Amino acid sequence: MTEEKKKASYDALVIGGGIAGGEAALNMANNGFTVLLIEKDLSIGGKMIHLSKVFPTLDCSACITTPKVSEISRHPLITIYTGSEVRNINRLSDTLFEADIIKHPRYVTEEDCTGCQLCEQACPVVVSDQYQFGFVGRKAAYIPFSIASPRVAAIDIENCTLCGACEKACPTKCIDFTQQSIEYLVRVKTVIIATGFNLFDPLKIPRFGYGRYKNVITAMEMERQLAPTRPFNTVLRPGDGKVPDRLAYVLCTGSRDVTIGNPICSQICCMYSIKQAQLLMGALPMADVTIYYINIRSFGKGFEEFYDQAKGMGVNFVKGKIGLISEKENGNLILRYEDVNANTVKEAEHDLVILATGVVSNPDNASFFTNNSLKLDPFSFICQTDMLASPARTSIEGVFVAGTASGPMDIPDSILSAGAASSEAMSYIISKQ
Amino acid sequence: MASIDTQFGNDLKKFGAIDFNACYNCGTCTAVCSLSDEQNSFPREMVRLSVLGLRDNINASLKPWLCYYCGQCTTHCPQDAKPAELMMSLRRYLTSVYDWTGLGRKLYTSKVWEFGTIIFLSLIILALFVFFHGPMTTELTDQGGVKLNTFAPWKQVEIGDWIMAGLLSFFLLSNIFNMYLKIVRKERGLKIPLKLYFTELYYLVIHFFTQKQFSKCDTLETKKKFAFSSYWVIHWFLMSGYVIMFIMIVFFLGWFQTDNIYHWTHPQRFLGYYATAGLTVGVIYFFIARIRKKDEKSRHSHVTDWTFLVLLFITTITGILVHIFRVNGMPYPTYYTYVIHLMVLFPMLMIEVPFSKWSHLAYRPFAIYFDRLVQAAKKSV
Repeated sequence: MTEEKKKASYDALVIGGGIAGGEAALNMANNGFTVLLIEKDLSIGGKMIHLSKVFPTLDCSACITTPKVSEISRHPLITIYTGSEVRNINRLSDTLFEADIIKHPRYVTEEDCTGCQLCEQACPVVVSDQYQFGFVGRKAAYIPFSIASPRVAAIDIENCTLCGACEKACPTKCIDFTQQSIEYLVRVKTVIIATGFNLFDPLKIPRFGYGRYKNVITAMEMERQLAPTRPFNTVLRPGDGKVPDRLAYVLCTGSRDVTIGNPICSQICCMYSIKQAQLLMGALPMADVTIYYINIRSFGKGFEEFYDQAKGMGVNFVKGKIGLISEKENGNLILRYEDVNANTVKEAEHDLVILATGVVSNPDNASFFTNNSLKLDPFSFICQTDMLASPARTSIEGVFVAGTASGPMDIPDSILSAGAASSEAMSYIISKQ
Repeated sequence: MASIDTQFGNDLKKFGAIDFNACYNCGTCTAVCSLSDEQNSFPREMVRLSVLGLRDNINASLKPWLCYYCGQCTTHCPQDAKPAELMMSLRRYLTSVYDWTGLGRKLYTSKVWEFGTIIFLSLIILALFVFFHGPMTTELTDQGGVKLNTFAPWKQVEIGDWIMAGLLSFFLLSNIFNMYLKIVRKERGLKIPLKLYFTELYYLVIHFFTQKQFSKCDTLETKKKFAFSSYWVIHWFLMSGYVIMFIMIVFFLGWFQTDNIYHWTHPQRFLGYYATAGLTVGVIYFFIARIRKKDEKSRHSHVTDWTFLVLLFITTITGILVHIFRVNGMPYPTYYTYVIHLMVLFPMLMIEVPFSKWSHLAYRPFAIYFDRLVQAAKKSV
């Protein structure tokens, strides 16, 4: 590790390179402010870049995200640190924040890498690909995913055997095993937090059998199977690679449920499940898709029509939350539920079960500030202290929140929220000058 | 036409219901219930009817009796609406509905009535002893035991026994008949062939004696064929002890309340010991469970739950003491304890069996019987 912390200063620090953070950074940069964008992952683009389509328009998610991401990457006023984390932020005065940032080594010189993938081909180590949720493997020297930005290789040092094959294969000699963490001390005038959300961990509901039953997957895993950059060219169930034809969605997995500590609605699961059901109707025309719900919350613009469209396409909607899932010998699953409209407990057999996991807060949110405390709401999302008049404002003056860091919301709302956060941040800087 | 009773929810709260208005109708409770099946799905429907104030539908439902309170529904309820406790409260409520005298409702909803009645009935027993007891002799039998039958001749006590048994049977049977009218007769147009009343009787007997529904509680998640739970075994031990004791004191008092001291292998002694052990173990087990509140089923206690346990406990303890004092030749302690024993026993049986908690001993198997009856009749149509 370097002795001296590298110093730099920008107008704004944006924490999180997802769609909200990216949008906020872009807005500010387009108005002439310099921005430092910090992303924990190896690529910017957040969760949206991995999605298949977006509701309610069924536009290709990657086709919206990738141009935006490359615009962000190429913007002269935006500096991006991927594989980096904010350790702490000190508020020195109204318009002066000092952030301690660590950039973890990628073991690849980013500027020199051309993304040719020769290192990937040379690498003998195969591990499970986290970006495809383990459906396929990847190498220890790898480009995170095909539309990653920066499209630069990285070495998974935990799995690397240090055989040197990648080094030999690399035409630009950009692989550097001597890289170390770099610490930066950055001074900025304002901070935008866009740390996003986590998906609920379905292992916390053992009666759904996630982790034990191979054919119980999460909706995000299904999303990958439906995306243009999907691992297989069709939808397969993980247990035996069979093409499923009776699929079930379990809504409110980890949302609106006090027993797992998340009593609130996640706002997106109804709609993404309906979206996936429609996509499955296209991908597997013979399949039956059933959505088990408590209430369908199609509250947004165009959502109700989207819900009606799904019903029209033949998606089967059943009112009743799944209580229990058990596995048959052939890997099929028995779902026990009460058909609420019939007042009758029923059991249904499905060959693939998709858990519509909810939105929970990102635990990183609380830990950034040392001499100020960032107020959180009861569900550990960032508290919007003046939610109606100034929705991006937080409990610390000069710190703004964008996207799902403040609570569950869908993509259009995240982008709106990012717009609000960037405008407020810019007017904050100008008003303090 | 269904009529909505806007005060029904408040009424249920008097019977111990809590938080059921939080229900958002997801059906998780029904889906995780091991006893719910396609014919009888509960508890969500019961919660819904309670929230809506559909009193008549509740009064005509036997589903509350089909629940044996494992508490899985409450454990998994995403709204923490405590459906299991609502089912328990509905059982208390239905007990008061079947009771045509109205005393059941008073005993459940008013502590003054509950304790007033107990004290009143105790005083009747006390008065009977004060005025009619036999000589309090200190003379002992040849075996060295107390001459209890001189102080309280079994023939006279038995007269009281028969009066009490007559009253209990009258009230309990008329309440069961009331239950029958509300549940089976409300199935308008359903003709029940007379034969079915006899063929389905098997279920009444088997469920009364085995209480095997307990063994099915909470088997869904564990995937066991049945749950050999300590709860079921101890409840059964308590029940069998009680039934044996009841039969001995009501039908065979002359044989049971004897001045002879038999060898311990004599049925009078070992049946007595078995029954006493069942009652003691059961009462202490349920005491501890309700104090520790570890299981969902023991977490919420209505005042009548405690009253019942306390009365049963005192009855059992005094019964044991009478026996100890008698065989050890201690006349006065025997007499006084015997009076206290009856002062607790009589109000307990009079209140609990037809009007309160103990009536579940009849309503539960009868509910299964009635359910079988209706289902078999529907099938035969």
